[in-house]
This record gives sequence, C-alpha cells and structure tokens, in this order.
Amino acid sequence: MSDSAKTAPLLEVRDLATHFHTRAGIVKAVDGVSFSLKRGEVMGLVGESGSGKSITGFSIIGLIDPPGKIESGSIRLEGRELIGLPSRDLRAIRGKAISMVFQDPLMTLNPVLTIGAQILLALEAHEKVSAEEGRRRAIAALAQVRIPEPETKVDFYPHQFSGGMRQRVAIAIALLHRPKLIICDEPTTALDVSIQAEILAEMKELVAELGTALIWISHDLATVASIASRVCVMRYGKIVETGPVLDVLTRPQHPYTQSLLDSLPSRAKPGTFLARGGGVPDASPPARMSGASPSRGSKSDASYFVIQDVSKLFQTPPGILRLLGQKLGLSQPSRGVQAVDSVSLTVPRGEALGLVGESGSGKSTLGRMAAGIYAPNSGTVRLEGEPVMGGGERPHKNTTRIQTIFQDPFASLNPRMSIGDSIAEGPIAHGIVTRAGAAEYVRQWLAAVGLDPAFASRYPHQFSGGQRQRVAIARALAMQPDVVVCDEPVASLDVSIQAQIINLLMRLRSELNLTLIFISHDLSVVRHLCDRVAIMYRGRIVEEGPAGQIYDNPRHDYTRRLLAAVPVLPTAPPA
Amino acid sequence: MKQASPLARFWNEFRESKVALAALVVVVLMIGVALLAPWIAPQNPYDLANLALSDARRPPGYVGSGGFTHLLGTDAQGRDLFSAILYGLRISLQMGLIAGSLAFTLGVTLGITAAYLGGRWEAFIMRIIDLQLAFPAILLALVISAVLGQGKFQLIAALAAAQYAYFARTAHGAAAAERGKDYVEAAFSTPLPARRVVWRHILPNCLPPLIVVATVQVANAIALEATLSFLGVGLPVTEPSLGMLISNGFQYMMSGRYWISIYPGVALIILIVAINLVGDQIREQVNPRLRR
Amino acid sequence: MLGHILGRIVQALLVMLVMSALVFVGVYAIGNPIDVLIGPDVSQEMRLETIARYGLDRPLWEQFFTFLGRVLHGDFGRSFVFGMPVLDLILSRLPATLELTLAAVFGAALIGVPAGIYAGYKPDSLLAKIIMAISILGFSVPTFWIGLVLIITFAVELQWLPAGGRGETASLFGVEWSFLTLNGLSHLLLPALNLAFFKLALMTRLARAGTREVMLTDTVKFARAAGLSEWTVLRRHVLRLIAIPIVTVFGLEFASTLAFAVVTETIFSWPGIGKLIIDSITSLDRPVMVAYLMLVAFVFITINFLVDLTYVALDPRLRKARA
Repeated sequence: MSDSAKTAPLLEVRDLATHFHTRAGIVKAVDGVSFSLKRGEVMGLVGESGSGKSITGFSIIGLIDPPGKIESGSIRLEGRELIGLPSRDLRAIRGKAISMVFQDPLMTLNPVLTIGAQILLALEAHEKVSAEEGRRRAIAALAQVRIPEPETKVDFYPHQFSGGMRQRVAIAIALLHRPKLIICDEPTTALDVSIQAEILAEMKELVAELGTALIWISHDLATVASIASRVCVMRYGKIVETGPVLDVLTRPQHPYTQSLLDSLPSRAKPGTFLARGGGVPDASPPARMSGASPSRGSKSDASYFVIQDVSKLFQTPPGILRLLGQKLGLSQPSRGVQAVDSVSLTVPRGEALGLVGESGSGKSTLGRMAAGIYAPNSGTVRLEGEPVMGGGERPHKNTTRIQTIFQDPFASLNPRMSIGDSIAEGPIAHGIVTRAGAAEYVRQWLAAVGLDPAFASRYPHQFSGGQRQRVAIARALAMQPDVVVCDEPVASLDVSIQAQIINLLMRLRSELNLTLIFISHDLSVVRHLCDRVAIMYRGRIVEEGPAGQIYDNPRHDYTRRLLAAVPVLPTAPPA
Repeated sequence: MKQASPLARFWNEFRESKVALAALVVVVLMIGVALLAPWIAPQNPYDLANLALSDARRPPGYVGSGGFTHLLGTDAQGRDLFSAILYGLRISLQMGLIAGSLAFTLGVTLGITAAYLGGRWEAFIMRIIDLQLAFPAILLALVISAVLGQGKFQLIAALAAAQYAYFARTAHGAAAAERGKDYVEAAFSTPLPARRVVWRHILPNCLPPLIVVATVQVANAIALEATLSFLGVGLPVTEPSLGMLISNGFQYMMSGRYWISIYPGVALIILIVAINLVGDQIREQVNPRLRR
Repeated sequence: MLGHILGRIVQALLVMLVMSALVFVGVYAIGNPIDVLIGPDVSQEMRLETIARYGLDRPLWEQFFTFLGRVLHGDFGRSFVFGMPVLDLILSRLPATLELTLAAVFGAALIGVPAGIYAGYKPDSLLAKIIMAISILGFSVPTFWIGLVLIITFAVELQWLPAGGRGETASLFGVEWSFLTLNGLSHLLLPALNLAFFKLALMTRLARAGTREVMLTDTVKFARAAGLSEWTVLRRHVLRLIAIPIVTVFGLEFASTLAFAVVTETIFSWPGIGKLIIDSITSLDRPVMVAYLMLVAFVFITINFLVDLTYVALDPRLRKARA
C-alpha cells in the first residue's frame, strides 16, 4: 500500500447523484452528496423517509436497481473509483471490502436454507473453502456475534431464530470477510427496544475490535447518537448538516436539524404541545349531537371504563377430521397462543392511559378487545356498566361510544372509497347525521383535523401518511365516541409528522373531553401524552401507575430493563 | 390535482400498454362482429335453402352459386366459411360469457361466504373446493356433459361446474386477506352491520384478482367448449360453435383442404389470445408485489 | 410428523370412498347400457335375463356395494364393449398414456422452468419477451388445435414425422414401450410436444412470476450485498425459493395431463386410456368409465399426498408446524 493510500480517507463520496426514472418523472433520491470516512470511523446517516439516506448506502455498495441509476459523482474506496467499475469487479468488493446489513432480518435470510449453508455461500463468494473449513468458520462467525451454542445453531433454519438472533446472523455474514466498511440500513428499526440496545452495544464493540468503519443509517437520532462519532443529517437527497454527534445534537446549525430535535417528545415537557408540531387547526369539530351519548356527566367516576379479567387465546379452528380425532381421544387440541392472560384495567372518565409493551406482549390484542373488535375468551369490557360486546354465537360490538385509530394509515382506510365516504359511512349508518347533512359534517371534521375540506372527494392514495392518519382520526371521532383506543397511531410516521399528530390528538382530547387508551412501544410518546401508564409483558400487566411514577421510580424489573434500554439523546452541557 | 378515482387511475395505466390496448380493441371488435353476425355475414349458413352441394369444400376466393366470393372458402356442406365463423363466434362467445358469469356468481358467493363465516364452515367449504380443484376441469366437464347429455344448457352447466371452484378459491383468498386488514376492522369497530361490511368494503377490494381470474376463465370456457365440441360431447350440431367447425374440417385436413379447419381455429385463437393479453395486463397492474 | 401422514392417509381413503360413490352414481345416470349390450331385435326374455346377469335390476345402493366389494378384490367388472376384464383393459392401455404424459410433463418442466427464470430475471430483454409471447400462445391456443397444426406441418406437409399410432415398441419389465425404439420415439415426439405445449407455457409463467417476485426481495439483495455471483443467487436462492409453487403445480399438472391426454390421444390415435375413455363415453361402456375415473381419482390423491410430503422437504418452516 502506498503512503498516499494510507493517509487517504477510507471512503470518499463526492457529489453523488442517484436518480430514479419513474413514470411520474425523475426522482432525485440522492442529489449531490459528499462526505468522507476514515478507517474505523463510525458515522451516522440520519434523515426522515424519502431523504435519500438508504439510497446513498445502496449507491456505495453498487446495488441500485433500475429504474434507479447513479447519474454522476464519485465514490472512492481507498482511492479506487467504484462508479463505473465492471460488475465483476464490483462483486469482488461487495461482501469483501464493503458489506451491508438490512432493516428487516425476517426478510433478508433465505427461509429454506440453513444458517450454515447461507454463511458458506457468502464464504465461497470470495474464497475457496472446503466443507469442514466452511462449517468451522461459520461456527466461529456465529460465536463472534454472541450466538449461544453455535455448533448446533449452525444447522438451524432462520425461522428457528428470534428477530434479534436473525439480525445477529446477518451481521455475522456481513463481518465474514473482515470488511473495511459495513453499511447498516436501519438495522434495529424492526426490533424491540431491548434487543435494539443489545445489538447496538455489540455492534459498537465489534467494529472497534475489528477496526471496521461503519455507516449507521437511521431515522432515529438517539440510536445514532449512541453509536456514531460523527453524523450527517440528510433531507431531500442532500446533506444539510454534518459534524461530531455531540455538536450536531446539542448545537444544531441547520434549522432542519433543530426542527427534528424539537419534534421529539422526549425533549419536551409532558403534556405540552410540541414546539415544531405545528399544524394544529383552528377549526373546532362539529358540535356533539344531543342524545349521541345517554349519560354524559362531568364528574369523574372511577368505574367509568372497566376491563375485567379479560383473556384472549388465539387458536386455529380444528378441521373436521381432527375434531373427530379429539372426540375419539386420538388427538390433542392444539395449544394456541395466550395473547392476553386475565388482565383487568379501570380507566376513569377523561383519562389518558398508556399501554406499553414490546412486540408480542399482547397490548394490541388487549386494545382490540377494549375497542370491541375482538371478543375476549373470558372476562368483560364495560363502559358505564354497559358491555361493549353483545353475547351469543357470533359476538358483535353493540356500542358506537368506543372508536379506534389504527397504526397503519395506509391499511386502515378503504382504498376504494373516497375519504368523505369513509368518514360519513358510520355516522350515517348510526343516525348521527342525516344523509343530506353528511357532506357538511364531513367538511367540518376535515377542517377540525387540519385538512382542506375540499379533499372529501379524494381517495386515500392521494394523501401522505400523516394526512391519512388525520383522516383516520376524523373517521373515528366523527362517530362521536367517548372512548378512543389508539393503537400505535404515530409509529409509522416520521418524527416531524409524528409531532403534528401528537399535537392534534392532545388538542382534540381536551376539546372533546375524550377518554384515551394509547397503545405504543415508544416510551417517550406515551410519557408525553398519558396520565397513567400500564406496562405489559407476555400477556399480563406487570406494573401500572401514574406516568411520572413509572418513569422516575419503576418498581418492576421488566419496567426498569425497558427504560434502561431506550437510547437517550445527549443534552446540551450547561452553559 | 385531478380527482382520480381508482378506476380512472387503472384505466390510465392500462392505456400505456400498447399490446393490451390493441388486444382490448380486438376483443371488443370480435364481440361486436359476433353480435352483428346476422347483418354482416354474406349468407345465413344454417338456412339450408342457401346451400348447394356443388359449392362444398371450395378453397378461399371461390365464387359460388350464391354469386358472392367465399373469402375463406366453403365447408363440406357448401357453407360459406366466413359466415359460419361469424355465427360460430357468436355461439362460442355466448357460451364462454354465460358459463363464465355463472361460475363467477356461484364461486364468488361461496368463497366470500366461507371467508365471512370463518371457522369450521370455512374449512369445510374450502376443503371441498380444493378437492374439486385437484380434479382437472376438462375431465369434470367431460363427465358432466356425458351425464347430462348434449345440449346448450347442459354444456353451460358442465362448464360452470368445472370452473366455479377457481373463482371460489380466488374470492376466498382475497376476502380472507382483506378480512385481516385494518380498514375492515375499522368498519367492524364502527360498528357497521356485517352484511354492509362485506358488500361495501370486502367485495370491492376483492374484485381486482377476481377480474383477472374472470378474463382467464372466460377464455378457458371458450377453449373448453371448443375442445368438448371437438371431442363430440359438446354442443348439438344445430349450434355449431367454432370448436365444432374445426372438428368438422378435421377429416378433410389430410387431403389438403386445410381451410375448413384452420380458419375457424385462427378466429378462435385470436379471440382467446386477445382475452388473455387483456387479462395479463390487468394482472400486472393489480399485483401489489410488483408495483414500484 | 407420523401422525400427520396417518391423518392424510385416512383422509385420502375417505376421499376415495366419496369419489367412488360420486362416480358410480354419476355414471349410472348415463343412458341405458342394455341397449349397448344387446341388439334391439332380441326377445324380451333375453333382455330381462341380461339385465339380471349384470345386476342391473337391483337397487342402486345394492349395486354400489356389490361393486365396492368387487373393487376391493381388484375386480372392476367386464367391459360391455370389449368383453374383457376392465382392469386388464386399462392396464394394457396405461403404459402408452404414462409414457406420453411423462415425456410431456418432464419436457415442459425442463424447458419451461429455465426459460421462465430467465424471463423473470431479465423481464425487459428481447428474449424474455419472445419467451412470454410463446407462452401466452401456449396458454391460449387449445390443445386440439395445436395438434392439428402439428399434424399438418410435420406429418402432411413436411412428412418428417408420423401422424398417429405408437409405432414400434420394445419390451421392458414385461410392458411394451415406444420410447425404447427409434421408430417409437418418432411417433412419440409429436403427441408429446402437443401435450407439453400448455404445460410449458404454464411452467414458464409460473417460474417467471416467482422469479420476478423473489428478485425484488431483501433475500436476494442481501445475497448480492454479500458478493454472491448472479449465477449463485439464481441457482441457490431463487431456484430454491420458487421451487415450492412449481413442485405443487408440477404434481397437479402431471395428473391433469393424464386427463388432457384424452384430446391428444384422440387426434394422434394414440392407443392410451384417454382414447379408451372417449370411446367408452360414446358407447356407454359403464364399467370402463367407472374404473377410469376411479383410477384418475386415485392418481390425483396419491400425487396430492406426495406433493404434500415434498412441501415439508422443501420448506423447513413446515416441519415443526406439522410435526
């Protein structure tokens, strides 16, 4: 290696432009990005969706598929230009000098090959290895990423691993040839917060140990802050700010970085409007119909909304033969999954209760039972003494006083109905408005959630994610409910949009005196919005109490672990 | 911004494929020609008064006793082949569309009902559908038409019985997928009556894959009818579809009188290929996994 | 796993029983076989005597159970037309259909799957478009018409290949096969091609659709990011991932090809069971129809069962779930 190659940066990206030639026109996903990376340096690449951060990563490793194309610029690895290299030379670099880890470990590993076989394929891509040698190295690679019992696990298939373990396998494959650079594209976004904390810590150790440089691509400023030494903030295909992590996060120079930070609920006082949330509409929701709710008092009574001993067991219905087998005692009934295990909760009128847990904790199932979507196997849900679900063979919800806002605004709106029809359908069916008055009613609700009332005739595909979530909120509230169950309503939104929706929910809640059950995996959002918090773990509530008490003085072990796992942003040192 | 409904958006995208557009034009044209056959055809090929045996088996271009040119020649009975094809097209399309819609209605009702009922009934209905799907349609149609005997309605019944299962499975698959989606849960949590949710929410969203299957199945029904008629278990001689025209010409093929069999075949193939090309484009457009 | 297999076997037997009842009732409804058995000029006594001899005067359910009892002993009765035991008749015709079907299905898979993978791998290339154009033709054009065109072209006009029959056969395991002689092969080629055309189109389309979807997945992207060559990605990842639907269809199509052989055998005068069934439908030869349909049902159920087992071999995710 020459002297100049030694002193030159490991990676130098200059004026990179990657465009997508779509039917709608040219999308400049990456539009003039420049940065350089030293050996062993860990750099964060932060931005909201559509900022071009992932495309930058894929451009570096040379995996841009049509209709995408690297238009211009230069990417130099140890002084060697990568753009324009023949595909064979690029392939020799991929996995060897530069490797990559993807977001969703469920999708990246091949489900029909053993872990060992997949590692062997990656080994053989760059060197000749015998079967035993390959197996030995595969076991060593698994051991390196802290997978217990690698000698047996090497013969496992991906589905036999948990999400975190699968992501470790992907990392093991990426590290196989001791690359000079690893690009991690949102590697912990699909994982629970406690697994994320483990992976972050291990990744940090591994790259330090191996001297590998790392580009950590994420939408989450906090994870970047906990692993990177330098950060680039991207927006609209350009880098708007770059610098040491501490400087950028404590003294942001660019207004966009500042607004990103201001959007985070963790940096605001709980219960206040988020500074950059903006977008809170001036219009008030239409007046409540008289008679829509029979007993609306102002006094807060403790037994307002009561969930008592509810359990939910998910079981596939047995086929006719199996049923016969069970009757004859030949086969056992299938076990099924106990999603919720006798949970009781009481929510007083006007309270916002946060329901927190990791994936599989049963929080969504509990929320759906509270909302009258799923019938519990046992136990009851009552609102002011009235059961939410009717009984019988096919239990059906029998009240309109509880409504739901779902996580994915792309899935929760019928793509074939105009949003006006979606909002008006329920109120018309239940006589809250007349068919003639529906148009005006819809317009008032659209204004109340901060959308142009003229949008009523548009279809969901014409809206952004944040706008759709506003529509979904309007649809739920147009039913004039007393209780609203929000199932991760901001989880799929970018932070700035998330701030807007949080502000909107807070305003509507106080204006309509709503009782809220707010389900989330995000502890900071829950702390910001909720008066009381219940922590769920494996189908049970392990701890419940006022928000301040849970966050500042957790009693249960699991709550403590959960809180400790959340990455925190560095705060400005006192001036 | 245009208030593009999903349908308008679909049509705009469809128009971009020149091949599919041309195929659609061909399909529409052939339906039109079939509808207007009595007015366009130079001769009513089934009015025996028009036929002269001296005109039999004449090659294309022959000017017969009727005083007009037989563009595509004549068949063994001295019919003008062009006219016979127009009338045959009419019958083939009729069979395909009637059998197709019957199968569609029956299958979709069953599939959606199964998805709606859920649980044991769903498993039972779909098990039977799967069982039937495992049995080849042609054999089923063959046996049913053999059991019911020859005739238009018998054949329609046989074709529909052989094909409804495809619709049932597609409808069930789509409805089961839609059933799990948030917007259906949102509708149920409003709460709207179940019937309304099925009609207004689930069914419209199941339509795209069903339309794809419908195009393919109409084409299949036409081909299947032709095959059965060719094998001699299809329509009676009084209802000569394209398949029967081909079958009638088969015996003259070895002696080089290819046109009696080949031209009806060409008409049949143009029709089926065009329908399938339209179906293919729709399939491309509704497959969410290939969208960028 | 063993419980699962046992369950499937019980299920298969039940299905077989239901099928045999359906087939029996269905076929019973067709015409009056007596008219086939004896001429119209025989005396009334002779007529009644024949009816009694074939058990046709008994109630339907009794006939069915007599039939079931005989079937369990391998006795499907005698053909009304050929006057020989149905089982022997079908077994003598089966090898012809079997070799035709196998040649068609394997030919279709061996050509169709690679062509489809290519068309899915490079969907915008000219060759891919040609492959798809051929496949849409194969998908659309009715089998019988392709048969006619093949005969005109290769037998009548070019006179390269024979238009019908099995040609010379040679014996293997005591059965006569066409594919063992050159002459037999030349007779086999056109009908096999005819029968394969639709399957070829189907396999191509299936492989293409699967490949296109798999190529867009993160699994492929991740493999590429690890530096695997395109060939390795196609061979080790894509082929394995698209194998499951292809094996399913391959199995089902094998059985439906048996049924479709009806058409091809009629056109090419191939003396297999397909031709036999058409002849027996037109001549109302009930025992042959019943035996044929039960044979097809049996083949179907067996193949479904094998496909199910192959799933488990191909998809490790099912092993635990079904254990």
